[in-house]
Amino acid sequence: MELAVNITLPALLQQVLVGLSRTTILFIVASGLSLVLGVLRIPNIAHGSLYMIGAFLTYTFATLFGQSALGFWLALIVAPLGVALISFLVERSLFCYLYEREHIMLLLFTFAFSLVIGDMVKLIWGSDYRSLTAPLFLQGSFSISGLPFPRYNLFLLMVGPLVAAGLWFLTNKTKIGKIARAAAVDREMVGAIGINVSWVFAAVFVIGCCLAGLGGALVAPTQNITQGMDHAIIIEAFLIVIIGGLGNIWGALLGALIFGLTDSIGILILPQFAIIFPYMAVVIVLVFRPKGLLKSTW
Amino acid sequence: MKKMSVFSISFSIMIIACMFVIAPSSLAAKVLKIGIVDCYSGPASTYTNDVRDGFKLEVKKINAAGGILGRKIEVLTRDSKFKVDLGLSAAKELIYRENVDIMMGTINSALALAISNLCKKEKVPFFVTFSKSAKITGAKGHRYVFSITENTAIAGKAAAAGLAKKPYKKYWIAGDDYEYGHAIADGVWSNLKKMKPGVELLGQSWWKVGEPDFTPYITAILSAKPDAVIIATGGRDCVPFLKAAKATGFNERVPFFMHTATELSTLKPLGLQAPEGVIGTSNYFFYYPETAANKNFVKKFETAYNRKPAVGALYGLLAAKFIFGAYNQAGKIDTEKFIDNVEGMWVNSPVGKVTMRAYDHQAMLPMFMGVTTKVAGYDFLMATDIVTIPGKDVMPSIAEIKKARNQ
Repeated sequence: MELAVNITLPALLQQVLVGLSRTTILFIVASGLSLVLGVLRIPNIAHGSLYMIGAFLTYTFATLFGQSALGFWLALIVAPLGVALISFLVERSLFCYLYEREHIMLLLFTFAFSLVIGDMVKLIWGSDYRSLTAPLFLQGSFSISGLPFPRYNLFLLMVGPLVAAGLWFLTNKTKIGKIARAAAVDREMVGAIGINVSWVFAAVFVIGCCLAGLGGALVAPTQNITQGMDHAIIIEAFLIVIIGGLGNIWGALLGALIFGLTDSIGILILPQFAIIFPYMAVVIVLVFRPKGLLKSTW
Repeated sequence: MKKMSVFSISFSIMIIACMFVIAPSSLAAKVLKIGIVDCYSGPASTYTNDVRDGFKLEVKKINAAGGILGRKIEVLTRDSKFKVDLGLSAAKELIYRENVDIMMGTINSALALAISNLCKKEKVPFFVTFSKSAKITGAKGHRYVFSITENTAIAGKAAAAGLAKKPYKKYWIAGDDYEYGHAIADGVWSNLKKMKPGVELLGQSWWKVGEPDFTPYITAILSAKPDAVIIATGGRDCVPFLKAAKATGFNERVPFFMHTATELSTLKPLGLQAPEGVIGTSNYFFYYPETAANKNFVKKFETAYNRKPAVGALYGLLAAKFIFGAYNQAGKIDTEKFIDNVEGMWVNSPVGKVTMRAYDHQAMLPMFMGVTTKVAGYDFLMATDIVTIPGKDVMPSIAEIKKARNQ
């Protein structure tokens, strides 16, 4: 086992920045999962599949609008909305009948649902992978103390706080957010005071899934858009939600930070064994805080 | 506890799902059955589709002329989804239920080794079409396995010969943390150390197959300031890695070698977004060698599939030529006689005469080393400054094979 000799301050700073941009994606996806988990009590395994649909839709719309910068921005907005529409239809036609079921039933249902989506994606887009290019001014990189930092990652770093602020505003300042938080604690009581819980649930589900779609849209230009990207993300997203505290959005932020940063810093410090760092962090957190870092809503 | 149940449930569901996948077998007629297990979904399909199509092109020709020894050829393909367990059960299905005469595949080295083991037990000839692990015809070689693609020992030797001529001293190795990645890295590095003893390894990084984000790896490597980098990534990760290399300007900051970087299958999907100046090695280009045989093959392939053939098409063609040629020579459908005929056999191909070495069942293919460059008139990058390294110069010696097999 050899320690890398190149751990300098600029290198460390750069790894932190690169890690934070990965954190952004993880946070966006995990917060959606956590929202649905906290309010609806649904462990949505199909969340990763919606992320995959988001990426594929981004590709389709970007191609449809012409491979221009404007087309890319439009796709980035339209694709998550497309995912939101799909999730709305699914919620109204299927999920809304299942809220009273046991968790194990919901787990099985969402798992089956993820398999169905996986095959649907294969049916619609085929088994080939897609590749999307970011607009010209987001391509390439600039230098931070001699080391390159991709422009697209900087863009991700700006999106992350925006989404976090939006979620804070939604949960704390809007009526639906307040009702949703109340429903997360005691849904019978919320229903008892005359609020239509069913529609609140629908709204929360759609917002959560829309976040998955946004995550997929944002990640589209940086990697292959392909089948299997759903499995990879859902495991990471669940781990993040578990270490953050089930159903707690800020826990998802904390979990994503831990996951993203241990990954990128681990790569610098011990590159040969970097794969295990985020998972080790998960183990350590769960040993000391078995219920997650922040207060779980369960 | 909660996490455990998620996994146990998904696992049992997978098993049930797998049971339904197995399709009912057709009634056995007088046909010659060739089973191909390969990864046809996801990024690796950019390589494997060409193997299948190149192979089927020959099959069509032979079937139109009445088949082999009076039998029509039937090709059965199965998708492994790059998973060893799925691929192995597909191979079992093809061998036990379909009773295939020949097995072919795959791009996943770990799966190729697993199928090779199965074929050894069941005495079914297995032609490895894309896996690059040197173990296939080296340490784990046996009577029933043949490789018609270069492997990590061959590519390693070719790459080392090229890199030894360059002034680089301090290297970094980074790659996929699975069979192929470690094998190609080891192949290049062990040969390079022999050819140029002064080289130094600064460090290594290994990522998981399907790594979603290569940026932190690239930035960490750059901060170590190596002279050159050996990228031991293959199959599905080539394209996203080159994408990340372009986004970070990796190729402009440090020269790097990536075995399959110059191949059409890798460069075509990237278009003009591919990084320039990447050193790569390949068995075949549609534009090289510039011989009549190659031009003729390109024309035939293009007419049939409306695209240029990539290296996989050559492998598919070679598989067909070896398999059907050997059956014709044997004069009857008999596995043992078939194998005796493949051993030492040679065939004509777009890259010239290719011989199947009798001792280790490894096809002796020339290697072409080149650098990715933008070429006017094409909407993707191509290899230029191509250096040809003949097959016999890059093959591991029989003594080396014997040593690997503890003989």
